[in-house]
Amino acid sequence: MVDSQKYDIVVIGGGPAGLTAGLYAGRGGLRAAVVEKLMPGGLVANTERIDNYPGFPEGISGSDLAQKMQAQAAKFGAQFVSDEAMTIAAEPKSFIVTLASRAQLKAKALIIASGAYPRTLGVPGEKELLGKGVSYCAVCDGAFFRGQEVAVVGGGDSAVQEAVYLAGLCSKVTVIHRRSSLRAAESLQRVAFKNGKISFSWNKTVVAITGDKQVEGLRVMDKENMKEDVLPVSGVFIYVGYHPNSAVVKDLVRLDENGYIITDENLMSSAPGIFAAGDVRRKLVRQISGAVGDAATAAVAAQQYIENL
Amino acid sequence: MPLLKDEDQQFLREEFARKLAGPVKIVFFTQALDCMFCQPTEQIIRELLPLSDKLSLETHNFAPESEEAKRYGVDKIPAIVLAGKKDYGVKFYGIPAGFEFSTLVADILDVSRGETSFSPDARDKVRAIAKPVDIQVFVSPTCPYCPPAVRLAHMAAIENGLISAAMVESTEFQHLAHKYNVMGVPRTIMNETISLEGAPPEQLFVEKLLEAAQ
Repeated sequence: MVDSQKYDIVVIGGGPAGLTAGLYAGRGGLRAAVVEKLMPGGLVANTERIDNYPGFPEGISGSDLAQKMQAQAAKFGAQFVSDEAMTIAAEPKSFIVTLASRAQLKAKALIIASGAYPRTLGVPGEKELLGKGVSYCAVCDGAFFRGQEVAVVGGGDSAVQEAVYLAGLCSKVTVIHRRSSLRAAESLQRVAFKNGKISFSWNKTVVAITGDKQVEGLRVMDKENMKEDVLPVSGVFIYVGYHPNSAVVKDLVRLDENGYIITDENLMSSAPGIFAAGDVRRKLVRQISGAVGDAATAAVAAQQYIENL
Repeated sequence: MPLLKDEDQQFLREEFARKLAGPVKIVFFTQALDCMFCQPTEQIIRELLPLSDKLSLETHNFAPESEEAKRYGVDKIPAIVLAGKKDYGVKFYGIPAGFEFSTLVADILDVSRGETSFSPDARDKVRAIAKPVDIQVFVSPTCPYCPPAVRLAHMAAIENGLISAAMVESTEFQHLAHKYNVMGVPRTIMNETISLEGAPPEQLFVEKLLEAAQ
């Protein structure tokens, strides 16, 4: 535990953006702390396989990539604080970050790299059956559904990637998507379409998740004829996008209508000294490579900001 | 082949040198046959051991030394108990691999100090609990949300002698996962009656703990 410590930069979030910000800040000779409430890696850590991060032609597991990024940041002196940032107070030329343990970190600049968390469907049964067949993490929970039939809801990269992973464990995987085509990358789609265990249910929305003690099925509605159908499954994995983790800075910086932090070209938010990098920032593409690029810019810009204080 | 790479060993050596306050005894329960994960679990321990002279190992054969198992409250293998100034009731059932390795390291640091990073408010509430609570946290090694749940449980055990807490690796103890209806991890079971899904915030964890202790 680090108590009331003074840093040049405090990075909120330990995913690819946060770890890269720590790496650049450390290399720049700054005292940097990276605050992460869960495990280093953020959302990346629960990705079974990453095939589009440059430098790993064979692909790499999310947890391996996260560990490598953390080790590299540590090598350049970034400190890791396993805690949650609860509040941020702006003082003249500095910020005080109060953590869940009540410890405080003081910094001249902040990099918000707190990422995003999985969006829920918001249908009956989803909350009640969480951990009883409803999951947002295939690598965590997939093994409990070995040999059983499951559904994946969504049509983006995560949904298709995890459907392929689950097909290696489960007897049948049905991907339920509200449109008639996938948003996922072409190469991922090809792999999924070729997999005999994966079938697709197009133009359908999930109306409810049913079951008493555990998931027994889904009620799905066809968007064209509004007809409802029941899909019997024992598990449902939900990948329908993300919400930004921007609550901790919501009173300090300008957010867009969806809660993403608005930044300038140097990735500074509307508040001088607060920078943003990765999924929490308003931008078009949310990929690991983009998060890493953001972080390099934000860390260098933050260093310049500090030098001009 | 070693599990810990050279740079990881170096990192841990420095971490232990800086943060280990007192000695930590790793008590390991194993058996030669019919225990698929005993050998790899032992390998993890054997690689940790030389990284600090404050760490020691005590190995017990589970079946022939059932008195020892009873003393530490161990009822299945592989089992790891971390003991510092005393036995805090901090246990791992199954291999502490993948993300759980970080839990093992963080627990070793806490046990060496006999202190945790609970907020003052949470710590006071946990210390005030006057009835025994047994906590089981079901995990899988590939679950990034699991370590915080195990950590909270182990921290509670360190703070209060009436609380014991174990990580349970679900895929190794499928009968238990089945018994407690584990279909997602982490899942925390307190005194067989209270359950919690996911990595709970400290405050919610403490609330449930108080409920379990009623």
